[in-house]
Amino acid sequence: MSERQALHVGIDLGTSRSSISASNGQRHVVESYVGWPLDMVARKVLKKSVLIGREALEQRTMLDLHRPLEEGLIKDGSEKDEAAVRELLRHLVQLAGVDPSDRSDFQIRAVVGVPAEALRVNKQQVRKAMQGIADNLLIVSEPFAVAYGLEELLHTMIIDIGAGTTDICVMKGRLPTEDDQRTLTQAGDSIDEHLFRLIRERHPQASVSLHMVRGWKEEGSFVGEPLSPILVTAPVAGKPTRLDITAEMRQACEAILPPLVESMFDLLSRVDPEYQERVRQNVVLSGGTGLIRGLGPRLERELQAVGGGKVRVVRDPIYVGSDGGLAIAQDAPEGDWEKLSTDEPKRGK
Amino acid sequence: MARVDRLKQRLLRELVEQNVELVAGLPRKTLKRRRRLRLGSSLLGLALLPVALLASSRLFAPALGPVAPPVDGSAASRVSNPGRTEGREIPEARLAAPRPIDPSVFPLAVRRIAIDPGHGGAAVGTRAASGLYEKDITLDIARRVRRLLEEASFEVVMTREEDRAVSLRERARIANEAQSDLFVSIHLNWIAGGNTRGVETYYLGPTDDPELDRLAALENRDSGYAVADFRRLLDQVYAGARLDSSRRLAESIDGSLFRSLSRLPSHLPTSGGSEIADRGVKTAPFLVLVSTEMPAVLAEVSCLSNETEAELLTKPLYRQYIAEALARGVRRYALAAESAPEKGT
Repeated sequence: MSERQALHVGIDLGTSRSSISASNGQRHVVESYVGWPLDMVARKVLKKSVLIGREALEQRTMLDLHRPLEEGLIKDGSEKDEAAVRELLRHLVQLAGVDPSDRSDFQIRAVVGVPAEALRVNKQQVRKAMQGIADNLLIVSEPFAVAYGLEELLHTMIIDIGAGTTDICVMKGRLPTEDDQRTLTQAGDSIDEHLFRLIRERHPQASVSLHMVRGWKEEGSFVGEPLSPILVTAPVAGKPTRLDITAEMRQACEAILPPLVESMFDLLSRVDPEYQERVRQNVVLSGGTGLIRGLGPRLERELQAVGGGKVRVVRDPIYVGSDGGLAIAQDAPEGDWEKLSTDEPKRGK
Repeated sequence: MARVDRLKQRLLRELVEQNVELVAGLPRKTLKRRRRLRLGSSLLGLALLPVALLASSRLFAPALGPVAPPVDGSAASRVSNPGRTEGREIPEARLAAPRPIDPSVFPLAVRRIAIDPGHGGAAVGTRAASGLYEKDITLDIARRVRRLLEEASFEVVMTREEDRAVSLRERARIANEAQSDLFVSIHLNWIAGGNTRGVETYYLGPTDDPELDRLAALENRDSGYAVADFRRLLDQVYAGARLDSSRRLAESIDGSLFRSLSRLPSHLPTSGGSEIADRGVKTAPFLVLVSTEMPAVLAEVSCLSNETEAELLTKPLYRQYIAEALARGVRRYALAAESAPEKGT
C-alpha cells in the first residue's frame, strides 16, 4: 500500500480563483467556474462533458455555468454546486499531472484551505468533495496556510483579501482560535457589486455587466488618489462609449475599509500588550483583492491611530495560499497522514 | 531557525488533532440534515409530553397570575373559536408511533438565527433618566448582531427592522415561519434603586421570584394572546426537548456577555461606577419564549436604571461590544451543538 509514491498538494479553494501547488513542482491556477453543456447541440459543439475555468467562462452562453463557492464556502444544499466543486478539485489535481481516478501509482495527500471562520459543516462539505480525489486530507484555515508558507507564525497579522471573503488572522504561535481570526464578507465580490450599482446609477444608459465590471476592477482598483483617471469603454445605445468611473471605483474600493480597519483594531486589541507593537510592524497583505493600489499605505495610515505600523504585500499573492498548503503537506509527519484518510470513518483500518 | 521548526512541529500536531476530530465526527450524510433534525427533536419532545404536562400545570400555576390576568369570558370564547395556535396542536397519530432517533442527525444544527429586538413603536420599553429608550437601543444592538452573525455565515431573521410595535405573538410567528434554529430576544433591564449594573439571560421556565413575575408581566404586555392560548402553549413547550438546548444557549450567551462586559477596554471609561454583576441564567415565563418553537432565550444585556450603563449605552462602541458578546455566545453554542451530537435532550 505504501509502495505508492506520495504526491503532496496544497490547494487554495477560492471563490474567484483556485490554485494548486504540488510537490512535483507543478503550480496552476484556474478561475473557479464549472459549466456543463446545456444540451446535445452544445455538447457536440464543445466536444466536452464539462468545462472548467476561463474556458467555461468564455463558453458560458452554451453552458449551465456554476461558480460553486460563495463567500469562500461550498454553496449549501445545491447538488449541482457540490458536483461542480468536485469537478474543480479533480481538474486542479489533473493539472498537477495526476489522474485522481487512477491513483495506483500515486497516493495524493492534500491540504485544502478554507475561510478562517468556516464551521465544521463547511469543512465536512470539503471533506466530502475530496473523497475519491485525494487519499488523505488536511483542512486548514486559509490565513494559517498563508502564514505557514511565509514562515510568519509569530507576532504577525495576515490580511487575506480574496473574492468572497477577507480573512484576518493574528499568528500567536498557536493554531488560530476564534479570538485570533475574523472573516468578513466585504471582499472582491462585494466591491464588484458595489461598483456595478454605482456605475448603473451614474450611467444608466450604458449597458454593463458584472463580468465587465469585475474586469475593470482587476485593472484599475485603488484607494486614495488615482494614478490616472479610470476610463473604460461600454456600449451606450449600441455605440462603444468612453466612461470615466474614477469616482465610482474609489467609492466602491474604499467601502471595504471601515469593517477591515475595525476588525484589524479589534484583533490587535486582543493581542498581549507586550507584543502589539511587533504585530503592528508585521502586517501582511495577501490575496487577489489585497492588490488594490494604495491599500497598504492606507492601512498604515490607519495604524497611526494606535502607534503606527508596517503593512507589506506578499510577493506572490496568487500562490501564497496553495504554497503554504504544500509546505504543511510536506512537513506533516508520515504517520499522521495515515489518520487522515478521506474514506468514510466506519470502514476503519 | 530551530525555534521555528519546533513551533511548526507543534502547530502541525495541533492541526492534525483538529482534523482527526473532524474525521471522527463526519456523519454519514451531510445533506438535508435540518429537516431531519426538526422531526427528530419534535418526536423526542412528544415522547416526554405526558410527564411534562403534569409537571407544568403545577409549576406554572403561581407564575400565571401576573402574566395574564384571567378574564373568563374572553378565554372561553377563544377556546370555542380556536386561533392560529390550534394549528400547532399535535396530531394523535404521530404520538402513537415514535420512531427511534438517529443521533447523527443532531450535529450541524444551527444555521438560521432569529434576532428579536425588544419593544418598538409606541411600546418604548424602559427609559433612562436621560431620555434613552429601550426600544431604540435593542434595535441598534440587534442590527449589529445581525451583521456579525451574517459575517460568520449564519442566516439571520429579524422580528422587526424598524421602530414599530410588533406583538409578541407576531414575533414568535416570524421566527417560527422562517424555521429559525435559535431565537435570541434582546432587552434592557430596569432594576429599582439604580445601583445595580448587570446582565442576565433567561430561558423559559417557572419562577417563584415575585420580582421576575413583575418583569415578565412588563415584557409580556401587548402579547396578542388570550389566557387559553397561553396555557396550551405552555403545555406544549414544557414538553419540548428544546428546554435543555435553551438553557445551554442561555449559559453560553450569559457567560459571553459577562466576560466581555466585566472587563471593558480602556477606551470605554466606566466613570468609577459599581462593578458589573453577573445576575446569571434564570428561568421566567416570558411569552416570547413560550411561543417560539426553537431554543429561545431572552437576554437583558444592560440596565437602563443605572446611570453608568445609560451613559455607556449612548456610545456606539459599547453597543458594538455588547453585540459582539451576543454573537460570540451564539457562535459558541453553535460550535458546541455541532461537536456534542449525542446530547439530544
